[in-house]
Amino acid sequence: MADILHVGIDLGTSRSAISASNGERFVVDSFVGWPLDMVARKVLKRDVLIGHEAVANRTMLDLHRPLERGLLKEGSDKDVEAVRELLLHLLRLVGVNGQNDAANVRAVVGVPAASLRTNKQYLRNSMKGIVDSLLIVSEPFAVAYGLDALLHTMIIDIGAGTTDFCVMKGRYPTEEDQRTLTIAGDSIDTQLLKLIEERYPQANVTVFMVRDWKEKHSFVGEPQSQVVVTAPVKGVPTEIDITNEMHAACETILPPVIETMIDLLARVEPEFQERVRTNIILSGGGGLIRGLPEALEGALKGVGGGKVRYMEDPVFVGSDGGLALAIDAPEGDWEKLTA
Amino acid sequence: MRAATIQRVKRRVLREAVAENLDVIRGAPPRAVRPGNRIARIWLKRVPLLLVPLALGGAYLARGTSGGQAILPVQRGAPASAGQAGLPVLHETTTSIERVTSAAFPLAVKRVVLDAGHGGTDPGAIAADVIEKAITLDIGHRLHALLAKDGFEVITTRADDRTIALRERARVANESNSDIFVSIHVNSIVKHTASRGIETYYLGPTSDPSLTQLAAAENRVSGYSLGDMRKLLDGVYADARRDESFKLAGIVQQELYSKLRASDIGLENWGVKRAPFIVLVATDMPAILAEVGCLSNQQEAAMLNRAEYRQKIADALFAGIRAYASANDGPKKKGIPNHG
Repeated sequence: MADILHVGIDLGTSRSAISASNGERFVVDSFVGWPLDMVARKVLKRDVLIGHEAVANRTMLDLHRPLERGLLKEGSDKDVEAVRELLLHLLRLVGVNGQNDAANVRAVVGVPAASLRTNKQYLRNSMKGIVDSLLIVSEPFAVAYGLDALLHTMIIDIGAGTTDFCVMKGRYPTEEDQRTLTIAGDSIDTQLLKLIEERYPQANVTVFMVRDWKEKHSFVGEPQSQVVVTAPVKGVPTEIDITNEMHAACETILPPVIETMIDLLARVEPEFQERVRTNIILSGGGGLIRGLPEALEGALKGVGGGKVRYMEDPVFVGSDGGLALAIDAPEGDWEKLTA
Repeated sequence: MRAATIQRVKRRVLREAVAENLDVIRGAPPRAVRPGNRIARIWLKRVPLLLVPLALGGAYLARGTSGGQAILPVQRGAPASAGQAGLPVLHETTTSIERVTSAAFPLAVKRVVLDAGHGGTDPGAIAADVIEKAITLDIGHRLHALLAKDGFEVITTRADDRTIALRERARVANESNSDIFVSIHVNSIVKHTASRGIETYYLGPTSDPSLTQLAAAENRVSGYSLGDMRKLLDGVYADARRDESFKLAGIVQQELYSKLRASDIGLENWGVKRAPFIVLVATDMPAILAEVGCLSNQQEAAMLNRAEYRQKIADALFAGIRAYASANDGPKKKGIPNHG
């Protein structure tokens, strides 16, 4: 691979995606696991497992989600190693193999806004040496760039660990343009698990099962149909109705999301507020919650109404934005951004 | 946006993104604290100095406590376990910030602000001939008499049927330099008229949409702008006042439930909850809002219409305030010196 390869990477708390200029796109679960002992290593025949494989074999692994709650924990060597493994894995998926190839990669990595605000130096050092040139940006910014939504737009990126808000004002977003909530997909999972355990104390349910159910059936507002799932009850697969629990758990994110959205809107210059209100974009896995755009639009009625769009391809919208940034950045800049 | 404009904006934001990354590579300070934002830079330098004593104090106090008490959201109207001889302790993780605990302030309760909810043009909940504003005022008068008789100084936000803005109520409370604030309200849950119960609120964020709606309904006449609200809310959730408010709410709720249930065996304990009611946000002292009944329930409305039942509510509120005051180590009431 002698040609320059541009890549955009969305390093998410739950899923990470990569889009490359060679046309390849992949998404993996942001889990990295190392075999717990020699026996596990022998069974798994691997030194490290990533993504779905790591989750599937979690009982034999020291499992890490490196950006849990949107932050890379400083001082955690394992989490740093997990970030590196994850990036290397994503690069391998698009055909980057070894140091020679990496020397020709120009990578833009989108990370949760909170992690960029609090430990950008640490984050950058953690990624050092993986590719030749590296640009790190906040995830909502990458989304906005990819959609050409850089002016009078609000991005609400609902991920697993965080919900990031970013108002685009035609400039690189500053801290005052952004907000981060730790109420996101994971908090819905926690709440849903708790509610299911309360209602079905005999059922044996894990957070991984709950996460799967949420991704298939999440909704706010009125249910379109009953949510019936199968869970082991005393070892016997049993159908349980979790419609009410799903509803209650998903709706927990509404008040803080609405409050933050309206607060950020109120801080936009008055003459532009209406334009921002009518240009709100939902991205991230949380954008898949059925009824969420309508619920947010309902809340906007109190401040003059608005329009909330949901991205059809939320999985790659961030990495595609990163790729667009990577391609647009002048080669002169890339030379300065040696990682 | 025209294509040329888009391209121009894209070039600009890309240039800024690259510049920020180069700053990180060079180890330069964040752009927000560069010259041009001198005040922020000065404050960033000073904050560590302020944090040192706070951190030391917090670490010291944390040894004697269970650490940050976390509160869980509950469904509105969810009954507490009757067998728990008290209140459902609600846990919801809101922050990992180390807090100064209330144990640092075992101070006296001398002066109490009573806030009879609604009034004047704002009737509150209405059920047939029972109006919330009249009920709260009557209970307020009764409670006032009990507290005054026991030696407390009592400040009232309204003594008759008049409209008082929520921010005015908070101003009265704050200017009186009182020790606690007790707001009296009556619930109405029109979608669940079969339900009746009592609940007590203290200030805090809630993730329960129905509580947000309730707070929004109560706050509508606050007179505060959104900007004012933001200033008020910044920082208040994490302060020590919350611990005291939680404690007061717990004791008052327990007294209300245990005393009133004797008269009404169907009464439900809806527990202690958090919600951002304006009167709780804007007051400086430990503050609670007690929903002492439920007008949407026909039986409860009839009981609230009876003077003897309202007296029982006042007695229960008094018992709660008295118990809270007694639980503190300082001088109990005005005029009683602290010899301890």
